[in-house]
Amino acid sequence: MNRSYLDYAAKRIGQAVIVILLSYVFTFIVVSVLPGDPITNVLRDPQNGFSEQEIQQIIAAQGLDRPVLVQLWASLSQFLSGDLGLSMRSNRPVSTLIAEVLPSTLVLATSGLAVAIVLALVIGYGTQFLPRRYGQGLLRGFPSLFLSVPNFVIGLVLIHIFGFQLGLFRVINADSFWATFFAAVALGIPVSAQIAEVLIANLDHEARQDYAAVARGRGISQSRLFFRHLLKPSALPVVTVVALTVGELLGGSLITETVYGRTGIGSLVQRSVTTQDLPVIQAVVSLAAVAFVVVNLLADLVYPLLDPRVKLIGTVKPRPATGDDAFDDRVEGIPS
Amino acid sequence: MSVVLSSHPVEETERRNGKRLSIPISVALSLAIIIVVIAWSVAPGLFTSYSPVVGVPAQKLLGPSFAHWFGTDHLGRDVYARIVYGTSSSVTSALIAVVIGVVIGGLIGLLSGFLGGWTDIVLARLVDMLLAIPSFLLAVIIVTALGFNTTNAAIATGISAVAIFARVMRSEVIKTRQAVFIEASFILGGSRWYILIRHILPNASRSVLPLAVLQFGLSILVIAGLAFLGYGDPPPASDWGLLISIGKDYLKWPWLVYAPAFVTIVTVLSVNRISRWLRKTN
Repeated sequence: MNRSYLDYAAKRIGQAVIVILLSYVFTFIVVSVLPGDPITNVLRDPQNGFSEQEIQQIIAAQGLDRPVLVQLWASLSQFLSGDLGLSMRSNRPVSTLIAEVLPSTLVLATSGLAVAIVLALVIGYGTQFLPRRYGQGLLRGFPSLFLSVPNFVIGLVLIHIFGFQLGLFRVINADSFWATFFAAVALGIPVSAQIAEVLIANLDHEARQDYAAVARGRGISQSRLFFRHLLKPSALPVVTVVALTVGELLGGSLITETVYGRTGIGSLVQRSVTTQDLPVIQAVVSLAAVAFVVVNLLADLVYPLLDPRVKLIGTVKPRPATGDDAFDDRVEGIPS
Repeated sequence: MSVVLSSHPVEETERRNGKRLSIPISVALSLAIIIVVIAWSVAPGLFTSYSPVVGVPAQKLLGPSFAHWFGTDHLGRDVYARIVYGTSSSVTSALIAVVIGVVIGGLIGLLSGFLGGWTDIVLARLVDMLLAIPSFLLAVIIVTALGFNTTNAAIATGISAVAIFARVMRSEVIKTRQAVFIEASFILGGSRWYILIRHILPNASRSVLPLAVLQFGLSILVIAGLAFLGYGDPPPASDWGLLISIGKDYLKWPWLVYAPAFVTIVTVLSVNRISRWLRKTN
């Protein structure tokens, strides 16, 4: 824990805070230019049956009669104090609405990530040891194939094969084990492609190193070579890639939850978008940005501690003029 | 395959001399597929005699056959015709998305990399902000703000891709800025803006091309996703994503999902292959 690491950490935390604030403001701007006036669209919709007095109350409670900048300031300070406001439709706290559906999405996202990691490891193992004539090339093509398939198609194909043809699960029963399992597979497959791409490149690099040749010369088994020697140096840089997939998992859950009829953050967003429930949209998008920033911050902070080979840039002066590291002062990966 | 070929020393030299540019078979096939897709979108009437909108109710939900390559849907419409007529909308919207991403992202990256200093710091945080919001969620809220139709879905997809182009453009600009010929041009009296437009832009743009092609495929997927959720044009439009979305209610007749999905996957796969090839030959 030396000085340069602390400098680096302070700088990254500062950047993360700025990015979170900016994304809140950005979302507010996008959401408040929604077509039409939320008051007429939602509150005066006869289907909702609000009386004129109730409408005035909600307008006052939401502060919709104030100028946009004042609303932004109020909303931002509320957000920073942990208050997400009230839903315009149900008048219930947004935090309650989110808390109700969050567990389901967390289960889906974490099992999706687990599927993605396992799949990436299997593909990675295969690319190292599968003989060329048994389709190693095919296996290497998997990540780019996975990235070419819309994830709702994967979901539908799984439902068709395992739900309809084999009768393993019913989509109506969305929370059953198999329904959740296949939803996680559908969510995880595109994510696994990104992890596998980096993992394969690193494994190929490590397999060419002298120490790997020495290990092979000692006559150790394939799986021991893979898990004992190749995997650790190859998998460490993948930590930052996994952190980047948080966005993919959250965005993908929007579609996967629709396909599998699950209730979750995705279906909450869908409902709020069609009913123009602005406070809910604002809260979910900002929290997604917070989740993404925090996970990536943690990955960037933990990574240099895990991997002694990385050097911290952004603390070194003058700054190396490579321009390879895009935009921020992230940890420089292992050259490959 | 191509990987083996390109590492071959003879071919390397040949390519460097510019005598012959060999195209691997998979790339040629991909190009052929893309040409067919473009032809579908330009002149769909040449490829099918069926109407994409008017069906024959007596022929509903027929399986694939010689008369109907991809079968028919619940209204007796030919699925192949629906796909061919939907191509134009799917391809054009992906193109709009890429152009928005390249122009706005490229401009941000160019200014950020060339001017440096405070401009760079401010733009870098803005780009970080765009990256922090999950890109599909970003596309969803922008399309909500603009209104649900395919053009707006394309614009939203483009904006959600701005950050990626900005990053790549910036790093390319920084790389180019340090080249000797830039220094030479400066000493010869070229102004900053002249150098930016004349020298840095063309050189930095080169590696943006493969990325733009890759993003084109990705945009097809994202726009299909938005159409799937109902944020694109409503039926009787026949965007590929919308076709799959309609098909999901008729899973007993799986070709309604598999046919448009197959076309989407093959197109995106071909685009990705071309992008990889461009990156390698660059």
